[in-house]
Amino acid sequence: MDNSFRKIDIDIYDEDALRDDELYETDPRDPAEVLQDAKQRQGAVRGFLAKNDIPGALTVILENAPYGANVEEAKIITLQSLLTILNTTKATEITGVVKLLSQDTQDTLMKYIYKGMAMPGWGDISGSVLLGWHEKLTEVAGVGCIVRTMTDRRIV
Amino acid sequence: MILLEPHNVIIQTTILEKLQKPGSLDVVFVDYDNVRFHLSTPERKTQLLLSMNIRCWDELVQYGALDVLRREYGSLLASKVEPEYNVSLEIDLEQAPSDPEAREAFVESLALLKRNALSAPFERGFETQKQLESSGGQGELMQVHYRDEEAMYIQAAPDRVTVIFSTVFREETDRIFGKVFLQEFVDARRQPSIQNAPQVLYSSRDPPLEIRHVPGLRNSEEIGYVTFVLFPRHFTKSVAPATISHIQLFRDYLHYHIKCSKAYMHSRMRYRVTEFQKVLNRAKTEVATTERKTASGRTMVSR
Amino acid sequence: MNLQHSVMSNVLRPYLAAVRSTLTAALTLENFSSQVVERHNKPEVEAGTSKEVLLNPLTISRNENERVFIEPSINSIRLSIKIKQADEIERILCNKFTRFMMQRAESFIVLRRKPVPGYDISFLITNTHTETMLKHKIVDFIIQFMEEVDKEISEMKLSLNARARIVAESYLTAIQG
Repeated sequence: MDNSFRKIDIDIYDEDALRDDELYETDPRDPAEVLQDAKQRQGAVRGFLAKNDIPGALTVILENAPYGANVEEAKIITLQSLLTILNTTKATEITGVVKLLSQDTQDTLMKYIYKGMAMPGWGDISGSVLLGWHEKLTEVAGVGCIVRTMTDRRIV
Repeated sequence: MILLEPHNVIIQTTILEKLQKPGSLDVVFVDYDNVRFHLSTPERKTQLLLSMNIRCWDELVQYGALDVLRREYGSLLASKVEPEYNVSLEIDLEQAPSDPEAREAFVESLALLKRNALSAPFERGFETQKQLESSGGQGELMQVHYRDEEAMYIQAAPDRVTVIFSTVFREETDRIFGKVFLQEFVDARRQPSIQNAPQVLYSSRDPPLEIRHVPGLRNSEEIGYVTFVLFPRHFTKSVAPATISHIQLFRDYLHYHIKCSKAYMHSRMRYRVTEFQKVLNRAKTEVATTERKTASGRTMVSR
Repeated sequence: MNLQHSVMSNVLRPYLAAVRSTLTAALTLENFSSQVVERHNKPEVEAGTSKEVLLNPLTISRNENERVFIEPSINSIRLSIKIKQADEIERILCNKFTRFMMQRAESFIVLRRKPVPGYDISFLITNTHTETMLKHKIVDFIIQFMEEVDKEISEMKLSLNARARIVAESYLTAIQG
């Protein structure tokens, strides 16, 4: 007897079934626009770093950071810029810098720290740098910041 | 006990006991490398028959085992071998030496039956080396297949005798542990105190040059080859017997210690896991556990 | 040995701190019945049938060979550890150790019988566990496990090497003539 029908995924025909993009508000911007934006920020970050303004650089790269589907390239560019900032900051200055960030920016920073740790060995990622930032950020922003990274569906 | 003893303890203790108090006997027991012994009193209580079955008997005979045994045991060597065994000794307890020391030595030599049989190719190798010193050339490559898949190879040269063991590591753990041990054998000679020990070479998978032409060698990850290079100073008249006793037990020595290490690791893990268990148990809150039953009367267990 | 250990734990500290805070954040579990199968109540992280009750999984890593993967959900979390294995010996010892523990998963109620692919050992903590056990002590247990397992593996390796040395030296001393 042919029982291959048992293997058919019927859930995709279910109109009530939940889709990923229904779990969060999608970015209204066009992917190309987001990419363009990420590239511009990358340049801006260099400017802030030249002036040694770490909080400024973090704010510019993390505010309205790309999220959701179809913007992989913009996310990677953002991660690269962010890693540059994290790697150039002195360990003793981290706590001070983190305190100057808004809560939303802190949350986004936490998301990126986890994103970086999930990609060990990629690019400029250094486990100890990310762990150092994670520790200081958790001290300042609390465990709630980690909870928000777990629950926010707007994945960076 | 770090080193293995070359004699068989069961033979030793049983015969010593029977010398004290003769009695009828019929025991079968084993030694390393699946060697089987049968110790019995077929006719009367003071007449012991000790028989040995050893896998590589035919090879040993070829290398002069009978001569060695005749030298060691003389008239004890039975002319009629017990069926299913390779060699038998007839021991008349009434003829045993009465002097306590001589008696101990007599029993000890009986307990060395396996060791003596296996020493034949070594003795021949050592003799051949002496002859080759003047004539040059290479001695015969003697092969002793003392286990199903493992063998030793002995070959004399004008200045040395080479002994090669092939050994199988059944499990991955054995293979990795074995490598650690053999590496130490290779490195140990750097110690000044044992600089004079024979050189040890180790190769896994590829057989050493000396035996590469031997048919039927398997090339696989689980096989290792260990080579001992013995120079005449290792088998002078006074040290040769000890060298033979140790070398022929090398394979068993190695595997014995691999097993000991595994057992030790196991006991450590058991301890550590019990400790972890205690830590986890500390997390449990004190809840009065009342047995809960389902409608059918079965006990509910929550994990 | 003690000095070496304290140096090691200093290097490990930020890593363990990150695992501790992430695990604490994830352990906000509640009882939750299956939305898919009536009258079923199962760990949603294992069932994986309702994506709205699964949260974003997070990774904490020191490097490619040492990382922890935490998968939170509404009523259960899964924590998987990749343990450092510098060579063949450490690999086999790690494998033996984790297998030994997983065979005793019955008494380690939070231990999973099989690790998640790509990891050496996995734990499954459900709301039942957090209701009958002290949450911070469960976290302590995981952290202590991570600390000790590294130490245990390197000590086992040292003892194997030490034994091998004694065995080789005793043997060669006996036949040096």
